[in-house]
Amino acid sequence: MNLKFNYRTLLYLFPALLIFIVFNVLPGMTSLVLSFFEFSGFETNLFQKFVGWKNFIKISNDKYFWIALKNTFLFVFGAVFIQTGIALLLAIFIFFGNFKYSTLIRSIIFFPCVLAPVSVGLVWKKIFEQDGVLNTIIGLDFSWLSSVSLAIWLIITVNTWQWIGYTLVIYYAGLQSLNTELLEAADIDGANWRAKIFSIVIPLLWPTTILNMILNLIGGFRAFDIVYVLTRGGPAHYSEVLASYLYYYSFAAGGPSKMGVGASIAFVIFACIFSIAIIRVIAMKRINK
Amino acid sequence: MSSNQTSYGATFKHSPGFYILSRLVVLFFMIIIIFPILYTFSMSIRSPETVYSAKFFLIPEEFSFQNYIDAFEYGEKRLKVSFPRMFVNSIIVTSSSVILIITLSIFAAFGFSHYKFPLKESVYNIMIASVAMPAQVLLIPMFYILLYMGILNTYQAVILAYAGFLIPIGILILRMFFEQIPKELSEAAIVEGASDFQLLTRVLLPLAKPAIATCIILLFLDTWNEFVYAMVFMQDSSIHTIPVALAKIGTSRYQISIGTYSAAIMITVIPVLTIFAIFQRWFIAGITMGALKH
Repeated sequence: MNLKFNYRTLLYLFPALLIFIVFNVLPGMTSLVLSFFEFSGFETNLFQKFVGWKNFIKISNDKYFWIALKNTFLFVFGAVFIQTGIALLLAIFIFFGNFKYSTLIRSIIFFPCVLAPVSVGLVWKKIFEQDGVLNTIIGLDFSWLSSVSLAIWLIITVNTWQWIGYTLVIYYAGLQSLNTELLEAADIDGANWRAKIFSIVIPLLWPTTILNMILNLIGGFRAFDIVYVLTRGGPAHYSEVLASYLYYYSFAAGGPSKMGVGASIAFVIFACIFSIAIIRVIAMKRINK
Repeated sequence: MSSNQTSYGATFKHSPGFYILSRLVVLFFMIIIIFPILYTFSMSIRSPETVYSAKFFLIPEEFSFQNYIDAFEYGEKRLKVSFPRMFVNSIIVTSSSVILIITLSIFAAFGFSHYKFPLKESVYNIMIASVAMPAQVLLIPMFYILLYMGILNTYQAVILAYAGFLIPIGILILRMFFEQIPKELSEAAIVEGASDFQLLTRVLLPLAKPAIATCIILLFLDTWNEFVYAMVFMQDSSIHTIPVALAKIGTSRYQISIGTYSAAIMITVIPVLTIFAIFQRWFIAGITMGALKH
């Protein structure tokens, strides 16, 4: 339907576009520019001290920046592969398992998604503590979140715990619109359940898998709350991700208050998302050819 | 749908291996999902003396609501923001953001779906692309924009920041929905002499209720649970939202007993859980629909 464009059309579009530009496009663009300036949060004119690539050189010489970058990729890896993989199998088991209460089961596995990541992080923080229930159950005396190598994986585990239901319900929607003909044919041929799942169901669910991977990829870059609450990036800065390291450089109480450096970390996040978007567009074009 | 499901199940029914494995796997994940919340709840209702003794980790030896009273006192004394105040703050921020975003998105989505204008698809694509950007990228410049506007440390700061960030999602869902409504309906309304505004309010909006419900659910979850903007843009403790105040309790330097800590978490979890229990079908349908629109 194409109504004639008139002054009222502008009134319909203008308020939403204005807010989108002022509170999304403008800060987004400014953030890229600010990464070439030095400022600490007290200046009135942010664009006074142009420092070229200095902020980027600073982060490239910062060992913890590279740890944060690596952790961000681990986080994204966990969300894209581990979370998607577990949710896929779980969705298949619930869907084909003929459960009497399958709606209730889905609701229970889904419910952590409606909780604030802050609440979820605090719940798990106590569980992982030295006198926490995890140690009581397995009979250890280990301070889980103080471990340099384990901390980031525990954060990834908690994040997976919270969002597995999200991936699950999207898979479930995919399963509900699955074409049954191939499965019926396989039944007539006497295929066993493993063959049916791995040769028919999982390949047919491929479009849903791609969608889930993209959603989890975006979600993986976004994670901040759960890191902040569980470890604040510690011990030292070994469980930092890019988003939390940006916060540390710019706003954290007792942090360095170097907002220009923070902006350069934002630039790196932007560059990651942007390159992934470009790869996605190119991949889509190849597939469509 | 349910008849479909039984026929699916039938193709797997005669495999005892699958039957047993599916029960084991689902049971395992149900326990993993439920245990942490149940455990926190159990901690919160134990009397301070028996906090570390319980049957099967979960059943308290002595019930008590003292922890909840302590948590309320802790909020008032240590945080300078009481629990009722946090809820009021969160309700103000969430309801204003959701109303603002939905209203503006409805009008903009109508503009995108029913009019033709130059650069329409380019503008729309920029909006959609922005959805993938993490909120933290905008944190520093947004802080200064709000500072220059003189609204830092007010509700408006966070409401406008949320709006800038979430309006694209509202427009995305509503535009798709408006375009699914048969053209003939809009054309008939115009032929009958309706103005474009009447077309929107009398014809399209009544039909768009499910899409608006989806938007409300998605926006409610995003704004109610949001943490980093609320923490950085509203540092005055009297206007802290629930996640910010809760994070302060959980990472505070002051000693806090695990019972009080657990009670504080449960005070924030129970209302959300109740709303979810009542509207669970809506939540799951809304989230799925929102995801499939990407």
